[in-house]
Amino acid sequence: MSARRTRQIVRKTWPVPLAALLLAIVPGLSPAQTWSYKDAAKPYTGRSITILDEVTPLQESMKALVPEFEKETGIKVDYQLLNHFEVISKGQADMLSGRGAYDAVMLHSPQMGLLLEAGVIRPIDEFLGNKALSNPALDRADFIEPAADSLTKFGGKTYGFLNWNYNVVYWARGDLLSHPTERAAFKKHFNYDLAPAKTLQQMRDIAQFFTRKKGEKLAGETLESDFYGIVLEGIKGGTTLWTVLDAFVKNFGGDLFDADGRPTVNRPENVAGVKFWAELWKYSPPGQAEYSLIDVPTVMGNGIAAQTLAWSDFVLGIDQPGKSKLAGKFLYAGSPANAQGKKRSAETEPSGIVISKHSKQPEATYLFIQWMVDKTTQQQLFAKSGGAGVPIRTSTWALPSLKQSRFTGLYAAMQESLKYGIAKPKAPKLYEIMDVLVGLVQEVGLGKKTADAALKEGQEKVTAICAKCTL
Amino acid sequence: MTPAGARPGGGEAARVGWFPYALIAPAMLTLIAVGLVPFLYTVYLSFHEMRHAQIGDWAGLSNYRALLLNPRFWHSAGVSALFIATAVPLAFGLGLAGALILNRGICLRSVIIPVRFVPTMMAPAVVAILWKIMLAGSWGLISYNVIERFGILTGTSVLASPALALYALVLVDVWQWTPFMMLALFAGLQSLPETPYRAAAVDGATALQAFRRLTVPLMMPLMVVIGLLRLIDASKVFDTIFLLTGGGPGTATESVSLFVYKRVFDFWDLGPAAATAVVIWVMFFAFANGFYQVARRKLGAF
Repeated sequence: MSARRTRQIVRKTWPVPLAALLLAIVPGLSPAQTWSYKDAAKPYTGRSITILDEVTPLQESMKALVPEFEKETGIKVDYQLLNHFEVISKGQADMLSGRGAYDAVMLHSPQMGLLLEAGVIRPIDEFLGNKALSNPALDRADFIEPAADSLTKFGGKTYGFLNWNYNVVYWARGDLLSHPTERAAFKKHFNYDLAPAKTLQQMRDIAQFFTRKKGEKLAGETLESDFYGIVLEGIKGGTTLWTVLDAFVKNFGGDLFDADGRPTVNRPENVAGVKFWAELWKYSPPGQAEYSLIDVPTVMGNGIAAQTLAWSDFVLGIDQPGKSKLAGKFLYAGSPANAQGKKRSAETEPSGIVISKHSKQPEATYLFIQWMVDKTTQQQLFAKSGGAGVPIRTSTWALPSLKQSRFTGLYAAMQESLKYGIAKPKAPKLYEIMDVLVGLVQEVGLGKKTADAALKEGQEKVTAICAKCTL
Repeated sequence: MTPAGARPGGGEAARVGWFPYALIAPAMLTLIAVGLVPFLYTVYLSFHEMRHAQIGDWAGLSNYRALLLNPRFWHSAGVSALFIATAVPLAFGLGLAGALILNRGICLRSVIIPVRFVPTMMAPAVVAILWKIMLAGSWGLISYNVIERFGILTGTSVLASPALALYALVLVDVWQWTPFMMLALFAGLQSLPETPYRAAAVDGATALQAFRRLTVPLMMPLMVVIGLLRLIDASKVFDTIFLLTGGGPGTATESVSLFVYKRVFDFWDLGPAAATAVVIWVMFFAFANGFYQVARRKLGAF
């Protein structure tokens, strides 16, 4: 080929490689970069949607971000925050009745069974597959698992996004566990080093070791009142039952239902798990049967117990200067495993934000709930909350606001617990089942019933509620 | 002369006969709209199957049969009855005693009266939180400093004890409502005429005789009304139980209000829940009506 011909070809075809080069190096031209909420929302500008979420400090930070979404999209959002009980009763009533006042509702995982059975949650697969609506940078693989899938996936469809990820962690008195006298005494008694419990059996040993009477010594000081080796939630209601099931029973290989969803309340593994949990009551404060998830951190903050399993977000309210004299002296770890167990489980409460079947603005609503959980919003959310919160995305762990937080130990504990926490079973009658069982396990803790007798009674009562309980 | 059979002013009476009804019509219509219609709808629901908050087939009496065969319903009815039977007389007795003391013109009465009214003015949820701070095992103000320090109760706490939790709730109720009883009865005592007491004093009646023969009969209508109001209110107790014990330990403090609440808002079992509401209403209506009849015929109230 002559040099002239070559030059002609180059002159005619030069735009092609240049365009390829531009596509490769200019970020503005990749799909993820060209997609924007502003463009996606153009057909829905001026529409109004109503969202129901549960009030917490993190959700209040989210509320402060909502005007940014409104400004970018032109979609008006009435973002309502109600307390736990109202979110359940109002949200559920709205969806079941077909009133449709709320376009999207925050759902706790125990609610999913009933609402899926009623068919009032709109799957989001059609929106996820819609290139105009779906953010290419959403990165669903970044959502923390197994929480996200166990919550939102059912029958081959996806129901909403993971939006809450509360979890139970091991919380102990670091000052006691590192005290030389206590460490020496513990080693002498149990023949292994005193350290944050990695197993339930170690947690029991620590509970036994630190349970002391008034007048005895603790870390070199004479106790002015009784001191307890452990404190756990024990009230009827709250999350007592789930702590028993997810933090103890499942680690013993037990579960409420078999693979077909039939009740297996009194299977031997469940009895073993409940027995172990009830044994810990010997080392707990006398009022444990009235302790809710709020009492447990209060007791830890008051310094009358050595360790607990507690909701990590409640730690944030106690381990703060001015909130507890022990602030900065606590340490955290993931929920302990069973030393003899094959399965590992932790108590977590993945909850989601779902679109109501009765929403008249599903596309605009999808855009909003997608925006709530996307990476940028989550980064802004944690920056706004000062790094205090519970991540729903793996990438959030790496944010500077978390990495530089004084709660790095707590975040590591959350990360560990979240590896083993799944959503509650999708059983339409789950609240009724919980109500029956929590009273029974509480009576085991109080020593009024044996684990065998209580779970046998539980099996009969749960079977009377549902022969096949899960969807 | 008025014709036989015609009442004097009968034309006038006939002309204005509708007028009193017209005056109360707005109130009655509102009452029907907000009270009777929802109740009748509840009755309607109680005879139907309900699934996912949607009305299903006619269920006949099956919701009622299931309820009446449910031992937990009868247990909760028993808990409510025990609560009422202890809380109401206690609050009434203490309230009456307080009212009689106030009526003697004690010093600082003008300070005591508004201060005593504070518990009654509190929202039940606030009362529950306050008593949680007092009675919570191992960290409550009274539990830690008195009950556990002096070994009054060992191995458990008041609210965690199946034997004591209900009485702790009675204590909370009495604490909240005694001031109301006291002030209402004090107002009644203040309005009693002085003449009969002067006559009794002239006749040489003792204070106890004056109380039994004058104060009690004169106060009876007010005491019955206040007692009935307190009884109705005590039967509805919910907030403090819900917040302090959740109905536990076990089912030791599960009142009928909590029983119904769970069926509606936790279980969404609306058919049986409606039947429960109707049965409770019928039971309470029968009781309140009996109380009213006794008060009217035997005690001369109303």
